[in-house]
Amino acid sequence: MMWGQYSYGLLVVLIAAAIAFIALAMETDDLHRFLLLDLIEIPSLAVIALLGTDLAEALVLPGLTVGIAEQLALSQIYCVKERISANPVHGLNIEVIAKADAPLIISIFLVVYGLILSGFTGGGVAGLGLVFFFMSRGYKEDLNLLEMASGISWAVWIFAFFVFMFLPQYWYVALMCAAVGIVLKVTVKMSLVGTMWGKGDE
Amino acid sequence: MSNLAGIPYYVLEFGDELVYFTPYTITLFLLALTFTIFVLVSRPERQVDIAFGGDAYTTKEITISEMRFRRFMAIACGLASMGAMVTGDIFNFTLFTAMVGITNVGIVAAVKSPHVQNAAFQYGLVALTATVPLFGGAAVYAAATGSLSMIELAKGTLPAVPFVAKAFLVLGVIGEGMAPFYAAKAEMFRAPGAPYVIMCSLSSLLIFLRVIEVVMLG
Repeated sequence: MMWGQYSYGLLVVLIAAAIAFIALAMETDDLHRFLLLDLIEIPSLAVIALLGTDLAEALVLPGLTVGIAEQLALSQIYCVKERISANPVHGLNIEVIAKADAPLIISIFLVVYGLILSGFTGGGVAGLGLVFFFMSRGYKEDLNLLEMASGISWAVWIFAFFVFMFLPQYWYVALMCAAVGIVLKVTVKMSLVGTMWGKGDE
Repeated sequence: MSNLAGIPYYVLEFGDELVYFTPYTITLFLLALTFTIFVLVSRPERQVDIAFGGDAYTTKEITISEMRFRRFMAIACGLASMGAMVTGDIFNFTLFTAMVGITNVGIVAAVKSPHVQNAAFQYGLVALTATVPLFGGAAVYAAATGSLSMIELAKGTLPAVPFVAKAFLVLGVIGEGMAPFYAAKAEMFRAPGAPYVIMCSLSSLLIFLRVIEVVMLG
């Protein structure tokens, strides 16, 4: 029964992949082909997700990360290839939002709620709050410090994994380190989306 | 353990994540390590353009920032190759292969030549497309046998790996630009800078040698 369902699922995914491949083969414009790659990424993750186990969940994340990394790298090459220069981003540029207190209140609410949730989800929610704040205020500062904080919290997260593996009796400390590390990491990373736009360090 | 290429000298266990060194993998690992060290200490060659019909020749200038980026990418490529050589997990192997694919693009992408940029972009499209059979192969391995550990697969107690899974894995590896079809990347090799560009070929060759071992398991 389960095997039959899996086979049908696999068939559907492979048909989807075949459609995406055909689209890619027929398309001639480089930008459109690049966008079609998104369609191809999804079947590759769906094949893994079809397993429907904890393992599959753990495998989708690195698969997604590698896929996004490849797409970011390719988009950079495309920009250089087509001589598209950096387009300065100035936030939303809506006067009402830039002056009002509402974005600040919403951002604070999202960040506090995210910190309570903790973990990946919490990091995502808190990061969204910060993104919204930066977008509405057109934040222009040196964000290298935030980038460094992200790196350090990532190191804390990895450190926690080593404690899990080699000193399992201290699991509670490791759990706390991992939870705090990942919430900071995801928050900071998300808040940097669109704000660090290749300036200064070039 | 009859199907592993030799008896493992050493197995490092991180939970169910395994790293093992057999005579075969340790040879490939040392090759990748040696070449990464070469890349670390060497300076890039400067490509020479010769004007036909005369004695004139020019050497291309390579800026420091370009050199640093390419060296970084070459080292990252070496590290990913080393990981792919020693990992005992099918999915980690596919991830390392995908990383080698990206870093191969990265090694040449810093070169400010339209030909090279274009070739790198086209090759990147193929590499990204190849993640479907690559990850798909690993997923079918897990679905059919319930394990991704190469040590477990080599014991022969698990259900047989379907042929389609192996075919997917090899297709994915080929799509990432590995031997025997890395000739397709020839256009990218117009990029100057000898030690870094050779890293593309070497990593491709190593990954292909490893995937042969992987598909012989189970």
